[in-house]
Order: sequence, then C-alpha cells, then structure tokens
Amino acid sequence: MPRYGFVIDLKRCYGCYSCQVACKAANFTPQGIDWARCVSAETGSFPTALRQMLPLVCQQCKEPACKEVCPTGATTQDENGIVLVDKNLCMGCKACIMACPYGARQTVGDWQTYFPDAEGQLDPYEAYAKKQWEKKNGYGMATKCDYCKDRVAEGRKPACVESCPAKARTFGDLEDPESEVSMLIRREYGFQLNPEFGTDPACFYLPPR
Amino acid sequence: MQLKAQTKWGWTIAAYLFLAGLGAGAYVTGVIADFAGEQWASVSKIGVALGFPCVLLGTAFLIADLGTPANFWRAYRKPGTSWVARGTIIISVFMVVGFIHIGLWLWPFGVLDDAEGARQFIGVVGAIFAFGTMIYTGILLGANRPIAFWSTALVPVLFLVSALSTGMMAVMLIATIDGAAHSGPISTLVRIDVVLLVLEIIVVAMYLQATHRVPESRAAARLVLAGSIAPLFWFGVAVLGLMVPLALELLGYYVLDGSSAATVIASISGMVGGLCLRQVVLSGGIQAPLRAGRFEFAIPNT
Repeated sequence: MPRYGFVIDLKRCYGCYSCQVACKAANFTPQGIDWARCVSAETGSFPTALRQMLPLVCQQCKEPACKEVCPTGATTQDENGIVLVDKNLCMGCKACIMACPYGARQTVGDWQTYFPDAEGQLDPYEAYAKKQWEKKNGYGMATKCDYCKDRVAEGRKPACVESCPAKARTFGDLEDPESEVSMLIRREYGFQLNPEFGTDPACFYLPPR
Repeated sequence: MQLKAQTKWGWTIAAYLFLAGLGAGAYVTGVIADFAGEQWASVSKIGVALGFPCVLLGTAFLIADLGTPANFWRAYRKPGTSWVARGTIIISVFMVVGFIHIGLWLWPFGVLDDAEGARQFIGVVGAIFAFGTMIYTGILLGANRPIAFWSTALVPVLFLVSALSTGMMAVMLIATIDGAAHSGPISTLVRIDVVLLVLEIIVVAMYLQATHRVPESRAAARLVLAGSIAPLFWFGVAVLGLMVPLALELLGYYVLDGSSAATVIASISGMVGGLCLRQVVLSGGIQAPLRAGRFEFAIPNT
C-alpha cells in the first residue's frame, strides 16, 4: 500500500498563495477554513534580514496527535495513510484542534457569503459550493485536508500541487524508494516539521536558503 | 514573531472546568464531613447537595460549547481512548452516584438517614470519581503536546487545589447563609480553606515559574503576567481569588470572631477567582511555533 506524502521545497516557494486559493476552489471550503495555507516569518535585521514562506497542509502523520485525542472514533487513517474525519461521528469538541501541532484542523459554524453587500444572500456559485461542502463535511465538525483524496483516486494530483507556479510542491508515494518524493527527500535533505512531537508527518520540507 | 493564543476554548469551557471542579470539591467536602460526627451533619448535607447540580450545570456549558451539541452522546462511543472520552465516563459516573446520594438521602427519599454505613460507602465511591473529575480536566489540557503552557504536571494539581478550595467555599457560603447553627464546623472549614489557599498560591507561583523552558510557554507567561490577560490574572485570580479570601478568612477567624459577612464575601470572591483562574489557563494556550532552518513560524489562528 502506498503512503502518500508531500515534498515542499522552501527554496522555491515565494508566497503567491496559489495553493490556498486552488484548495478553496477544489474543496469548496467555506470562509474561515483554509486546508492549504501559507505563513511567513522573518529573521535577522537590516541589512541581513530574511523572509521565508512556509506552505502548510495537513501533515497526514503516521502517529496523528489528533487521532490520539479524538473521543468519538471519528478520526481514522485510510490505507494510504490519509487521516480522515467522519462527519457522522464527530461531535465538534475541538480537542483535535488543540492537539494538532501543525494547525491543520479547523472548524466552522455556518456557511457565510464572501460579499459584504450580499446581505447573507449566496450567489449561485456560492450556493453550489455550499451544497458540495455540506455533502462532505457538515458544520460544527472538525475538518481537514485529505490530500484531495478523490482527485488522487482519479489519477490527478492534489489541487495545490497542480496550481503551484513555482513547482515547489511534489506529491507521491513515500513507501516507494524510486518515487520523486523519496528521491528528493534523500538527495536534498528533506526534513519534517517539529519532529519533537513524535507524530512522524508524511509532509517533508526541503531546507530554505 | 508574534505567537497567538488559542481562541477555540473560551469562557464556556472555563465555566465548565470551574463548575465541575466546584461541584466535585463541594461533594468531597460533604463526604468528609459525614465522617466527622453529629454536629457536621448539616454541612455534609450541603456539600452532597451541591455536588450533582453544579457538575450538571457545568456539563451543560460543556455540551453547549460543542460544534454539534445534539451529538454529545458520541463521546461515549470509544471509552478509554482519549482523555475527553475517559473524562466523560468519570463525570457521568460521578453524576449518577451524586444523584443517587441526593435521591436516597436528602430528597425525595430519606432511606440513607439512618443507614450511616451505606451512606458513607456511596460517599466514598462518589468521592473517588469526584477526585477524578477534579484532576482529569487538568490532564485533558495536558494531553495537548504543542501547548506547553498546558502540558505540565502542575495543571492537574492546580485544578485539584482550586476545585477543593472553591468547593469548600461554596459549602461555607451556603452554610453561613443557612444560619449560625453551624458556627463550629464553619470555623474549621475556614481554617482548612486557609491552608488550601496558601497551597494554591504556592502552586500558582510554581506553575508560572515552570514556564521558562520553551518560547511558547514563556510567551504565555508574559501574556498572563504583563500582557492582554494580565488584568484578569492580577485582579481576578491574585486579588479576588487568593488575596481577598485569604485576608478575610484570617481576619474573620482571628479578629472578627467568625463574622458571617467576612465568610460570605470571602467565599463569593474566591469562587469568582476560581472561574478567572480557569479562563487564565485557557487563554494562555499558545501553540509551539513551527521551525524550519533558522525561521520560526507562528501557526495562524483559525
């Protein structure tokens, strides 16, 4: 069985937020929920200051902290190592949101329109997105990135990988030593974020400059 | 880099932590008083009577905080897998025992009035789960590894001492309002509560001292001592929760000779402080930054 993973090259990412927007378009996430995100940090001071972007997705840990604290059994791992939330079992206690070291879990109470002048009226595109979201995720439950499970099953790549103009993202099978992700991790010193939490993420980063 | 505190668990969870602690603490006070002899009977009844309703009210807050309150029963699906699930079982057993204790002793049945052995047995069983209720909330917060301000062994101790103290204050308050007939037991309770308050001051000091190890808990300590929640900590916890009750209890005991007003004000002030303490601990929940090379990224709040 494959174990799907990401390699994100921090040298290549320049923070255009394409991944964030592509994820929204592909997964119909409501306002306030971003499964793929980009955060920035600075270090040093003038004239040697540096700025670095960090794209975040669910790290699909082998030992997920969110699964450990889930009281209802709503959190499961499928055969590809993807951590999933069952909306029919989650009750929205937010324990997983507190336990995830990577901020991958989010929850939302209701669908809200993006347009301030719309007075709560959804336009047809929003209404369609709302329907799609409700079918899969519901409200008040924990939600998270699933590495675009359905797209991958069709043989496509996750939306954030397809959209990345800097080609900073690579998606593939970590179990296969010949796959592009495995090679990149070996050759370019791929590392996991905050390994001290013992979660063994499937998302690897290549070091920044 | 500005680390931000979590906002998902707020006042409703603080109210739950406070009320569950208070109810369990009052119940334990009542059960111990039941062993202390005849003149403690009414104090014991007050403590036992407070246990179940307070915890039930706290649980209502907890359920109201869920994303889908109607699905709260799902917490029973996997007992023993996580601290939320274990806590649900602990608190449910406590409520069942507390309810039986009230039902068979105080109202509507009085069958336990003469059966001292059976009553004390039920009390001891209930007290075990009451201790579980007081402690598990601290362990529940501590299970969140990325939040170093919660992930320490002192949170359960802090919650335990505060729960016992606020529970005792609730008993003192009701007993004082109820009448001067229990002046002997009340002055004993006041003396025990002084010890608990001194202990609580020590635990709070040690708890804040133990935050020095990692940047996220240092940031939390700064937030608590000098940042946006400093007013809540200094006024709510330090003054209302610790100093005022300690001063009034000592004053009432040594100078005012068991003044009812001093006990009432001390109890109410101390209970408000207990609620503030829970909120201070919750709003200090700052997640560890993500590290890549020499960069540290704060996780955005969602």
